Amino acid sequence: MTVAARKVCMLGDFGVGKTSLVTRFMRNTFSDKYLTTVGVKVDSKLVDCADQGSLKLVLWDIAGNSALDALNMSYLRGASGLLLVADGTREASLRTAIDLLLQSRSLLADAQAVLIINKLDLVERWEVLPSTLVELRQSMPVIETSALSGDGVEQAFTELAKRLLP
Amino acid sequence: MNSTSDSMDFSSDRYQRIARALFERAQPLLLEFDNHWRLIDLHGDAARFGFDVDNAEVAARQLQDLFLGMPLDQSIDLPFVEMPNGRSTHVQLLGADDGFQVLLLDAQAEHERQQTQQQTGNEAALVSYQKTKAINQLRQIRSELEQQRVRLQEANALKNALIATLSHDFRTPLTSIFGYVHLLEEESGQSVSTQHGLRALRRNANYLFTLAENLLEYARADTRSSLLAPVAIDLADVVEDLQGMFEPMARDQGLEFSIELKMIDATPALLDELRLRQILVNLISNAIRYTAKGWVKVHLLWNDKTLSIEVSDSGIGIAEEFQEKIFVAFSRIAQAPGSGAGLGLSIVKRLVKQMLGTLELQSTLGQGSSFRIVLPNLDKSVAGELEKPAEPLFPNSGRGRSVLVVDDDPDITFLLEALLTDMEFQVRVVGDAGAAVENALANPPDILLVDVELPGLSGNTAVFRLRAKGYQGYVLTLSATPTEEARKVAMNAGADAYLTKPLNIEQFTQAMLRAALGSRER
Repeated sequence: MTVAARKVCMLGDFGVGKTSLVTRFMRNTFSDKYLTTVGVKVDSKLVDCADQGSLKLVLWDIAGNSALDALNMSYLRGASGLLLVADGTREASLRTAIDLLLQSRSLLADAQAVLIINKLDLVERWEVLPSTLVELRQSMPVIETSALSGDGVEQAFTELAKRLLP
Repeated sequence: MNSTSDSMDFSSDRYQRIARALFERAQPLLLEFDNHWRLIDLHGDAARFGFDVDNAEVAARQLQDLFLGMPLDQSIDLPFVEMPNGRSTHVQLLGADDGFQVLLLDAQAEHERQQTQQQTGNEAALVSYQKTKAINQLRQIRSELEQQRVRLQEANALKNALIATLSHDFRTPLTSIFGYVHLLEEESGQSVSTQHGLRALRRNANYLFTLAENLLEYARADTRSSLLAPVAIDLADVVEDLQGMFEPMARDQGLEFSIELKMIDATPALLDELRLRQILVNLISNAIRYTAKGWVKVHLLWNDKTLSIEVSDSGIGIAEEFQEKIFVAFSRIAQAPGSGAGLGLSIVKRLVKQMLGTLELQSTLGQGSSFRIVLPNLDKSVAGELEKPAEPLFPNSGRGRSVLVVDDDPDITFLLEALLTDMEFQVRVVGDAGAAVENALANPPDILLVDVELPGLSGNTAVFRLRAKGYQGYVLTLSATPTEEARKVAMNAGADAYLTKPLNIEQFTQAMLRAALGSRER
């Protein structure tokens, strides 16, 4: 039986931890050294959604940016899902994630989206308020993660996978 | 020069050189697949991009993932795609009727250059963000600290105002008590028991006054310096008072108590009596409080214009690590059970410093303590306005002089009237500033004796208005506020002299004597 595959793009400002989240999800490792992504790195992983079946996620780890330029738009083509990533310690990165979602809608009107607020391990330095997350949860799934510890990472990818199941 | 591609001759040597240079730089790999993504052919170095030609299916799947969801009948260009071997590549899909062609161009060098630039830029932006955040947090902290400082200042001012008010409220009735005790003591023919009772009354009033002074001393120390009031002290009187005050306490605790005075220098000690008494009362009461058995000994030596005090005991002693701490306010140490606010020794230290003296402590835990204090004679340079060596008292020197007493406390006015009448002054009394101004202008007294704290306008205001209307008489201002600032305010308003409550009767009579002689002190 052929497993269905879906393209998922990681979107977010630079330094929010997109590559770290993918690395944690794919290889269960973490490096605290920040290395800027240029272009895109594509990985794929089969996600088991329990009773609902399995889905192959083809993950596009796109270079961080505060706006979608033509290059980024070309990377988005064909995506079914979006993992929007913000850094809890930088409130501005949350606004960027929302902006990127709105910009992507012109190309991906029906893409499923899950919002990840990363760096849960630094929660005492978070600028993003709990009340903001409560409000955001009314319009999309919001999951707090730590690529460093792994908390919430599997849950975030699985949550999106479930929403992308045929 | 013709630079359009239309005119380029693709067979020319120049074009061939350009094509060769581009080819070498991009190291293109062209993969040809049929419609089912089966590899048909390839041209170029597949290993460079991490493809295993012997496992074409895997290579095909990796590329297929890249184009997932995209329309394969169109040309698709994907720059800077990281290949499985980590190499950055420009990927281009070229659709064809019978399959796909995928062209891979090496972009590693360009990728590295861009990454270096972006890494630097992004790291700088992150550092800048953190810096801005830290600065904002510091600003916030500073602002909060400032607010807290203001709140604490307000609370402290409130506390000081409260204590100052309490102190004033203490001083006014104590003035009455001391004054009437003085009057009663002056009366002749008293029985022994009455004399004894009066001494006890004076002693306890003194003690109460000292306790109140301790609190006031603590409250005012952080804002302003207190006024030193040196007077010629009869140290024997002081010793007698202390003996009377503490011997019963020591006896109750089964302690041996002795107080010894040696007067080697014939000249009288010129010291701030109130502060000296505060020092001694605090040290002795502490010694008795913290001595369960044994003795408390006090030695006073007046020699070479210096008063040496030693208060020693056989009490619990003070561990070395606490010997600095005990002089800090409200820091009663854990080893010392019992009552007390922990103010006494901090006040002693402060008072000794104010009187330009020195303080030493020798103590051994479990064996006892010894406090040694040396106080130099205070001369005129440190004295306040009226703190001059005692002069002979001439009780009748007020004869014929008129005095207007301005005070709202009937007990005080009665006392002053009695004292001044004894001195043969002609006394009249009013209770507020307005009446004082009216009365003094209508019938100017030789001396105006005015309390600062009056209902309505203050005594200082009355003096100011009188001076402004040409009043030339002598003004002696009384106040329960014993600070340099309060004295300056009174003097600036037009007073010639300033005395603080409770009145020292000797000082008061001397001041009235000077007033009667018309000796201006301003």
